[in-house]
Amino acid sequence: MNPGYELPQNEAGYSFGFLDEYAKREVRRTVLKAICIPGYQTPYASREMPMGRGFGTGGLQVTLSLVGPGDTVKVIDQGADDSVNAVNLRKFIELTCPHVDTTEHTRDATLIQSRHRVPEMPLTEAQVLVLQVPYPDPLVVVEPSEARRKTMHGEGDYSRLLTKLYEDIVQFDEITISHRYPTRINGHYVIDPSPIPRYDVPQLHQNRALILLGAGREKKIYAVPPYSQADPLAFDDVPFRTEDFTDEYGRRRACARCGAIDSFLDELIDDDGARIWQCSDSDYCNERLAAAGKQEVARA
Amino acid sequence: MSEIASIQPSAWEPLTQQFVFRRLLEAFSYPGRVASVARTDAAPVLSLLLATLVDAEIALADPQGLIGADDWRRLGARRAAPEKAHFIVARGDLAPAFEPSLGTLESPERGATVVLQVESLGVGAPLSLSGPGIDGAATLAVGGLDPTWLARRAAWNSAFPLGVDVILVDGTRLAALPRTTRIKFEGGH
Repeated sequence: MNPGYELPQNEAGYSFGFLDEYAKREVRRTVLKAICIPGYQTPYASREMPMGRGFGTGGLQVTLSLVGPGDTVKVIDQGADDSVNAVNLRKFIELTCPHVDTTEHTRDATLIQSRHRVPEMPLTEAQVLVLQVPYPDPLVVVEPSEARRKTMHGEGDYSRLLTKLYEDIVQFDEITISHRYPTRINGHYVIDPSPIPRYDVPQLHQNRALILLGAGREKKIYAVPPYSQADPLAFDDVPFRTEDFTDEYGRRRACARCGAIDSFLDELIDDDGARIWQCSDSDYCNERLAAAGKQEVARA
Repeated sequence: MSEIASIQPSAWEPLTQQFVFRRLLEAFSYPGRVASVARTDAAPVLSLLLATLVDAEIALADPQGLIGADDWRRLGARRAAPEKAHFIVARGDLAPAFEPSLGTLESPERGATVVLQVESLGVGAPLSLSGPGIDGAATLAVGGLDPTWLARRAAWNSAFPLGVDVILVDGTRLAALPRTTRIKFEGGH
């Protein structure tokens, strides 16, 4: 966002949450249908937003249609609150939604918009997670026609997708999908859960919070309702597995900052050229550091 | 929420509709929960609900004339027969006398939303619910709902993803029954 750019709020040209009421009403109707048909990519008329498609406009339209006074919004980009996409979206929400608070703490948020991560801290029933989705359809790799994909989804026909996973195993002894892992919701529709790592996929299963996924460019909204089945596609003899964080001695790597051995780690190169691993969820890492700091103070 | 409740806005103000939508979102996410939309300006829940979800894009059916002329004018919705409507408003104490749209296999979201006006929520005959959004099982008590609705709903929703979604409203509260919610009731399954 251009730092010198200001929305002309005094001219009353923008309604609360930037979107006009017709746009919000349509997104709201779509969200309710998406919850009723778990995993179904419900079409809607995605609006132009004052940022490029592909920068989280789908998630943002969902967030802006939900948000109201009394909400506390957290925006995450790849686990962090301070990377460019998160900062820009958070500033935009602060600018267009008066009386809405923003936070960097997962536990304080009522509405969490996220790009590429599910927060490490378990969500509660009082929270809604909105994920930004670049490519909503998991079948696009096996079928170019959207009309045919819609029929396949309706019939729950994922044989060609399973064949692709099988071919991976034949060629590489491993399903080679690192993120956007196809996941079956409530036993019917298979979704692209947005580019979250495999590590986050089990979090979709029986989560206490509603999870909404918004694809702005592709004009689709879909949902994983709370307490729903979410099964990553796998085979009986080749079960789903998440990222492997064990080192050459077979120990689980720890975060270089906070020492966590139960979080998703990013691999970084430090100033000396050595490889280090660090929590991807910055709030989780900071909270752990703060808690450890308190313990040390108590001991001293 | 108390902040906006105190300024007594009408059903047609954006922040009221945002408030009502969040209660609806909660009701749809956790079927069986009764959400209170009681407001100081005492607009009927049905008006609040329709103002929040319906506009000129929508074909609205009201076979029993439950929507006032003022509401019709403000909503700007197309009047339609229940068979062709996106939203159908009906009395819950009378047995259904129509076949709503169930959507198509390719576009199941075209299945209708049926808004049923019932006598009471939280008081009355208990229904036991299960399905997505419900941690194990939940109970929803509804007063003044003709049991034929539950049997018809079960038939309409028998071939997922096709089906209809139901919103129950009483004087001040609402509850939702998405098509995925399974209901156990006397004489049903």
